[in-house]
Amino acid sequence: MITTPIDALRDIVGRFPTTRDEDWKYTDLARARDISSRWLDEGGTRPSETPDIADLVGDIDADWFVIANGRLADIPIVDGVSVEKINELPAGDNALAEFNAALLDSGLRLRIEGRPGKPVGLLFIDEAGSPSVSQGFVEVAFEPGSRGEVFEYHASRGTGEHYSNTILCIDIGDDAVAHHVRLQDRALDHVQTHRTTVSVGRDAHFESASFDLGGGLVRNDVAIDIAQPGATVNFAGLYLAGDGQHVDNHTRVDHRVGPATSRQEYRGILNGKCRCVWNGKAIVHEGADGTDADQANHNLLLSAHAEIDAKPELEIYTDDVKCSHGTTVGQLDETALFYLRTRGLDPQRATEVLTHAFAAGLVSRIPVEAAQEPVSRLMERRLGELIRSEEDYTA
Amino acid sequence: MLEIKNLKARVAGNDILHGLSLAVNAGEVHAIMGPNGSGKSTLAQVIAGHEDYEVTHGSVTFKGQNLFDLEPEERAREGLFLGFQYPVEIPGVNNAYLLKTALNARRAHQGLDEIDAFEFLKTAREKMAALGMDPKFLNRGVNEGFSGGEKKRNEILQMAMLEPELAILDETDSGLDIDALKAVAQGVNALRSPDRAIVLVTHYQRLLDYIEPDFVHVLSEGRIARSGDKTLAHELEEKGYDWIREAANA
Ligand SMILES: Nc1ncnc2c1ncn2[C@@H]1O[C@H](COP(=O)(O)OP(=O)(O)OP(=O)(O)O)[C@@H](O)[C@H]1O
Ligand SMILES: [Mg+2]
Repeated sequence: MITTPIDALRDIVGRFPTTRDEDWKYTDLARARDISSRWLDEGGTRPSETPDIADLVGDIDADWFVIANGRLADIPIVDGVSVEKINELPAGDNALAEFNAALLDSGLRLRIEGRPGKPVGLLFIDEAGSPSVSQGFVEVAFEPGSRGEVFEYHASRGTGEHYSNTILCIDIGDDAVAHHVRLQDRALDHVQTHRTTVSVGRDAHFESASFDLGGGLVRNDVAIDIAQPGATVNFAGLYLAGDGQHVDNHTRVDHRVGPATSRQEYRGILNGKCRCVWNGKAIVHEGADGTDADQANHNLLLSAHAEIDAKPELEIYTDDVKCSHGTTVGQLDETALFYLRTRGLDPQRATEVLTHAFAAGLVSRIPVEAAQEPVSRLMERRLGELIRSEEDYTA
Repeated sequence: MLEIKNLKARVAGNDILHGLSLAVNAGEVHAIMGPNGSGKSTLAQVIAGHEDYEVTHGSVTFKGQNLFDLEPEERAREGLFLGFQYPVEIPGVNNAYLLKTALNARRAHQGLDEIDAFEFLKTAREKMAALGMDPKFLNRGVNEGFSGGEKKRNEILQMAMLEPELAILDETDSGLDIDALKAVAQGVNALRSPDRAIVLVTHYQRLLDYIEPDFVHVLSEGRIARSGDKTLAHELEEKGYDWIREAANA
């Protein structure tokens, strides 16, 4: 049931970011606006049946919370996790968050206490209508001293047009350890905007890895706030993109106090006519002495038609800091390709081997054990498709 | 096994090989010596099929087939092996994985089944022990962070596993300590057989004390300037290359 007047919703859609906004320079949300407007024209309805999820998560050992077509479907009872539905959301500070709050059925608030035996699984699954729109909002709070894992899985199916707009807020208490994996494996023409905010407590630890395998137009925002000393933050991301895909990862880390460490490494593998964006911002605020921030982004372009916009941004307002960043964009190493061929591997196999090796460093860092097998399997499958697809990866 | 006739080749616009002829028969070991920059590695790369090297003239047959009709991987599967002067580091590709993939590519070509995992490990461990290599090297990235000598041993390990019919070893002896040199020589000698051939590119007589060649050739300015038996290597050690250049230009 949509309670917000349609006109108010139209107004929000009209205020979605555009490429005139500095942060959205490379990513045009025209498709999200278009799908949303047409969906509103058609009454903004959602399919009521719950999609079958067994083939997605049946084998993954986690306690699954399912948000299907934007609706909270199952609420399992889990030891060590307290669960609450939330109906009132803060309006949000931008049009996407407003859209999320205005359309949300109900959000989910989880509190991790102690050490739950299994990871919390968050499955966002959408069955595309034509067109369809869905929202999702989840808050996960780690109690001080707790230790837990979150596996976020975004999938969508169906041939219709679909736009999904989701928000995950992670609040890590003092001395807590949070491990997080995000897997995005949507249909190759669906649209996603996803925002993750993380606040990290005193001496707390955040370990995260994200995998974007699908989606037609994808924008992920990650904002990590370090307002207590002693935090350790390691996050990594891998994006794969082929013909027609656009995948944008914007990250921002605010170091408000020190000492604290943040490290991020994103890698991309691009083939065919596609575009990816990585923008990593680290802000070291005044007085955040003892900050150690590192950003890395490496891209492998298998086609001359693939495009990457990679931009590290450091803003430093204090002296006692250690900051570094590095970005690379390259093709497959010809010397290595030749070496493998002299060992009997054909060019396709050699390309596969080298491409997998490029991704392997991130796959080996998946911090949620239950996610390792499914993520690697889907990643391998998608990578295989990408390499075999069309054209001139060796040209 | 290998028949090179009047081969001319260029790289990056420079003519490097100027009409080189050489015949290598099964059962033979040939050593190729010659000054820096004379074209030894160029010859090796042309034979392996590196596309930066353009063949402008001449012919090469390998086991009776036109070598240039074969892609580099087809040459490998047919039993050609090049030990690189500068083995390539491939971070993230497991050494055991490459060995096994290479071996299975060759086996598939020979109509054999994939090697059994247990059999593979057993053989690899044996060959490594003979080469004085720690089995830990199986689980490292291919040549990743290997020392110069370790890389060369790793090339020999690949050769020992693949059992090629023709092995061309480009300065595999450079950068080896004395134990490694003996181990590598042992690896090469183990491969010697009436139906295989070996071509050693080397700067040092020392290697030839351990692997006795049937023929020694001097490559100078893109041609074979002189051929002889193993005594030629001793002569070179004493007199250097100038007398050969002079004789060739006279
Ligand atoms: N890729 C390349 N681009 C440009 N020049 C090259 C290239 N490869 C080889 N050359 C040149 O070709 C000539 C022959 O080189 P090659 O490596 O074959 O010599 P070599 O006999 O193996 O020498 P060394 O004993 O030092 O290994 C050299 O002058 C070298 O600079
Ligand atoms: Mg050389």
